Amino acid sequence: MTQVLTQGFSRAGVEALSQLKGEPAWMLEKRLAAWDIYEQTPAPLGRRGDLGVMTRVARYKYDALVPYVANGAHANGHQPLPNWEAGLLVQRNSTVAARELDPALAAQGVILTDMDTAVREHADLVQRYFMTGVTPHDNKYAALHFAFWSGGLFLYVPKGVIIDRPVLARYLLDQAGGTNFAHTLIIAETGSQVVYIEETASSLPEGTTALFNGVAEIFAKDNAHVQFNSVQDFGPGIWNLTTKHGVPEKDGYIHWIVADLGADTTLANLGTTMAGSGSNGDIVGVLFATGHQFVQINTLSNHAALSTSAETYFKGVLDDQARVDFEGLIKVAHGAQQTNSYLSDHTLLLSDEARAEAIPSLEIAANDVRASHGATTGQIDAEQLFYLMCRGIPEDQARRLIVQGFFEPVLDKIPSGELRARLRSSIVRKMTKGQQVMDESDWHDVTDQWDIEGAGAEAVAIYGGDE
Amino acid sequence: METQTPIQTAELVIRNLHAKVEDKEILKGVDLTVRQGEIHALMGPNGSGKSTLANVIMGHPKYEVTEGEILFKGQNVLDLSADKRARLGLFLAFQYPASVPGVSVANFLRRALESVREGYDPNAPAQPNGQMDKRKALPPAEFRKLLQEKMQILKVDRTFINRYINEGFSGGEKKRAEILQMAVLQPQMAVLDETDSGLDIDALKIVSDGVNALTGPNLGILIITHYPRILGYIKPSQVHVMYQGRVIKNGGPELALELEQKGYEWLTGSPDENGEAKA
Repeated sequence: MTQVLTQGFSRAGVEALSQLKGEPAWMLEKRLAAWDIYEQTPAPLGRRGDLGVMTRVARYKYDALVPYVANGAHANGHQPLPNWEAGLLVQRNSTVAARELDPALAAQGVILTDMDTAVREHADLVQRYFMTGVTPHDNKYAALHFAFWSGGLFLYVPKGVIIDRPVLARYLLDQAGGTNFAHTLIIAETGSQVVYIEETASSLPEGTTALFNGVAEIFAKDNAHVQFNSVQDFGPGIWNLTTKHGVPEKDGYIHWIVADLGADTTLANLGTTMAGSGSNGDIVGVLFATGHQFVQINTLSNHAALSTSAETYFKGVLDDQARVDFEGLIKVAHGAQQTNSYLSDHTLLLSDEARAEAIPSLEIAANDVRASHGATTGQIDAEQLFYLMCRGIPEDQARRLIVQGFFEPVLDKIPSGELRARLRSSIVRKMTKGQQVMDESDWHDVTDQWDIEGAGAEAVAIYGGDE
Repeated sequence: METQTPIQTAELVIRNLHAKVEDKEILKGVDLTVRQGEIHALMGPNGSGKSTLANVIMGHPKYEVTEGEILFKGQNVLDLSADKRARLGLFLAFQYPASVPGVSVANFLRRALESVREGYDPNAPAQPNGQMDKRKALPPAEFRKLLQEKMQILKVDRTFINRYINEGFSGGEKKRAEILQMAVLQPQMAVLDETDSGLDIDALKIVSDGVNALTGPNLGILIITHYPRILGYIKPSQVHVMYQGRVIKNGGPELALELEQKGYEWLTGSPDENGEAKA
């Protein structure tokens, strides 16, 4: 049972998709409204003199893609829920292949399902929140997402419910010319808590491409706490365009931890609107780009209420001909007094041909504000390298140690030990250009040496099984 | 001794060594020999080229050797990178060691020890789980035991090994960390570059005791110092005086005493701090 839409994006394609899904009229209306905005919005080409990531995104041949490829429900990728996870969702290309929720949580009123099901079964909640955290007006690619979204995760955590184990989503792409338009909607009611981990991966035939265009909308009501972890580990050929936005209400907290490691081209829009007084939105970012990877990261800390705080902290390592454009914005609305907001981006260049630019900026319309931003870009320090080599450590290993050390402070800010270990092994693998599988001594880098953290073998992949 | 016939005693022979940095010649024909088991002191006023010599011995890429040779174990090391010189048994205790944020002392030392162990092959392919022989990976327990033993000698606090290399270390902690590394790596020829500078008398004693605990027939030491003070704790058999890029005088321990009484002017004919390029 394979259903496929015709190649290319069109208004007729939007209608066909909605019909195929048997959606209510209100969702088709939202899709069509988004499609109109997509068509009316010119492709953003970036700033004058930037590194050209946006231009590359704009020139991508979107019409060669198939907007929807159904692989059949539960055809592949179904994995039983390991007992340390609260819930799980797996999506392959356009459709969800597996989902599970701990029955004990379901009994407490927690809802975990795919978005298509949520549209049918939880229309009131979806109608209230969908397309309000992120809108088609935010950027052209978000508009495309809202026109063609398919699958994704819907998570509702009722008032006061604290989920003590992570909820996991895995988004996969293995169809040449295929797409994954996963939509993530998380609603954490008053006083609730949840940790969400999203992992993306792909395997494409060589020389082919596929598109991941994901949107995440996160709502943390009064005093709710959402930790959103994202590990983007796509293989070659993937165009990865994402828009994620969180809205914490009074004393709510949304904590983003994002790692971008793979994909040919990444455009990541990530932000928080502190909508309630005392709310907080932190972003911790880890970036490692090699080869011809192009990355554009746009962050926003939008302070719209009294006494809110946010810290954005990114660290990136670039090798080969990689290019990273980082634009970070702190915005403080009129009347958003007692704001604390910090933004920093640090980049280490391992190659003379790698390029990085960071443009932090402030728009402040209140007067009782503490805000600062900073960005650094540098190369491996020759004295550090000589020092390590003087102790017998060969140059390539010494460089690896320095890179590990560079990442360490940002990894330190990641609450989950499993995730830290997972990222350490990804970084080691990437530094050795994938030539080297994790061997015993690299393993010590990750566990005993790099940090005495006690990661077990299961820490290499968040998921028990291999794809 | 010929370069073609390597010998196994770890002897450091420096012959007519010239080196420059950014077109400025700093070493202008250094001759010096230190044999295994001997302790030598290299003294001289600031800017005489002592620290440059230490860095050139280890192969700092900033310096260009224009003439002469450095032989260790009968092998000319000038074409070797710093890590290869270290694996051959050379060690430099830095005057101003670099800090490496995010890399713990334990992590670093273990990797370093693996590297200098005999039979280490940096190009050996990764082995499947459990086969560590080619890379000489050290069992963590064995390494910790060794490290704790050496830390006791240098009176180093236990928390020290989890700190990042030299990051936020006091002057004394940096010097002790250098000697701790020397104790763990067990080189055959160690150059101690101004290891006494910036140390109070208690720290100087601890560091000197640490060095003395390592001395023996297998270790040659070249102590580079501006002040004779450390030579009250570590006794050299030979003393050399360096000035304007050359060794201008060689003698026994009595030479250090003479310098203490008379200063360098006695030999150089000009006051100390004479504006020569600092190494």
